[in-house]
Amino acid sequence: MIYGFEPEFVVGLFILVIGTIAAAFPRPRNYMIRLINLEIPGFGLLLIMLSYNEALALFTFGVISVLSTFIYVRVIQKREALAS
Amino acid sequence: MDEIVMAGCIMLVLIGTFSAALGRDPFNKLISLSVMIAGIFPFIVDRGYVDVAAALALIAPLSTIFILMACQRREPS
Repeated sequence: MIYGFEPEFVVGLFILVIGTIAAAFPRPRNYMIRLINLEIPGFGLLLIMLSYNEALALFTFGVISVLSTFIYVRVIQKREALAS
Repeated sequence: MDEIVMAGCIMLVLIGTFSAALGRDPFNKLISLSVMIAGIFPFIVDRGYVDVAAALALIAPLSTIFILMACQRREPS
């Protein structure tokens, strides 16, 4: 599409940059917003992996990102239970 | 992929990304994230990875459910 790159690669790179900035500087500065913003660069990386035809990496990364989100949510809940 | 379909999917992805990055309410951000994921799936199917697309379609909403669980826990306090 642009300079001979594939559209998946260009869109994935764009999402990766936007999502990283959003995760680094979340607008209401709390961990819940940061956790949601962390999902955005994950899918950008998924698109970049797709442009290199890495099917196994795509599958593994998708599963592990969901698993890590589950662990983060458990940690947050435990922290809130400790705080209250 | 068809050019018009690809332009529509890229537009869906960009709208979802910007509205998820700039939104303030967690629920609005989750809905925008789902819009972005919906725009990504046609690219995966276009490459011929239908099995990966099916597995991701089953697994990706789980993270939404987990984050929603944390949002609900956060609401009363």
